[in-house]
Amino acid sequence: MIPIEAVLVLGLLLFAIGLVGVLVRKNLVVMLMSLELLLNGANVILVGLGRRLASPRGAIFALFVIIMAVSEAAVGFALVLAYFRQKKSSDVDALDDLKG
Amino acid sequence: MITLAVFAFFAVLALAAAVLVVVQKNAMRSVLYLAFTVLAVAGVFFTLQAEYLGAIQILVYGGGIVVLYIFVIIIVNLKELVPERRPLLPKLVLIVVPVAVGVEVAYLLIARGFPAAGARGGGLGFERMAETLFGSYLFPFELASVLLLAVLVGAIIIARRKLVHDPD
Repeated sequence: MIPIEAVLVLGLLLFAIGLVGVLVRKNLVVMLMSLELLLNGANVILVGLGRRLASPRGAIFALFVIIMAVSEAAVGFALVLAYFRQKKSSDVDALDDLKG
Repeated sequence: MITLAVFAFFAVLALAAAVLVVVQKNAMRSVLYLAFTVLAVAGVFFTLQAEYLGAIQILVYGGGIVVLYIFVIIIVNLKELVPERRPLLPKLVLIVVPVAVGVEVAYLLIARGFPAAGARGGGLGFERMAETLFGSYLFPFELASVLLLAVLVGAIIIARRKLVHDPD
């Protein structure tokens, strides 16, 4: 039997690492990758709690999170490609000309 | 006991690979470590008896998203880009704050313990999950399909090379 605290701490640490990646890295592609880490951490917590409560809802929510992550990755990549075509760069600092 | 050992193995693997994703300078190496993390998280799902989700994780993340990342990195060709720079102090703050929040919640969890839940059953099984998904969550499921269709159309339009000249 896996203690629920271990699952929650694992999800939390994955989330924290992903958050650090989103905040610190300046490369758009690596930021999107860190976002995937963050969503994976949330999924681990959802699945662990679903198992703890003997409810299928945790896994179902995690499934919806995966669907959302796929959508986010696809649109994010389209934006990165469109942006790269304009600027020849994927550094977020070059994005500040979007400011109104 | 053996389940706990397997869980600990995959958990340590996932965390180590996750740190390497963020730390790596080369984006292509980051992607490979991301694949590592995703597969380790799938192992965690298997030890938590969420077999369906583990399979979906391997198929969708390992097979779909990671390959998409690799293609984008090849197209964008990140190697030619200048290395990213950030002053030390903001960097330190941005690292310390999420880590401190994570450590605090983890400490509270371990020190206080998680409140005891009601019935804890064995495995969840496909049947109960499928019944709930297509019973109570049918509408969100259909909404998800609409979302995927919108993403399909939107991604093509955004990433298309030339704009179509509209007669209007």
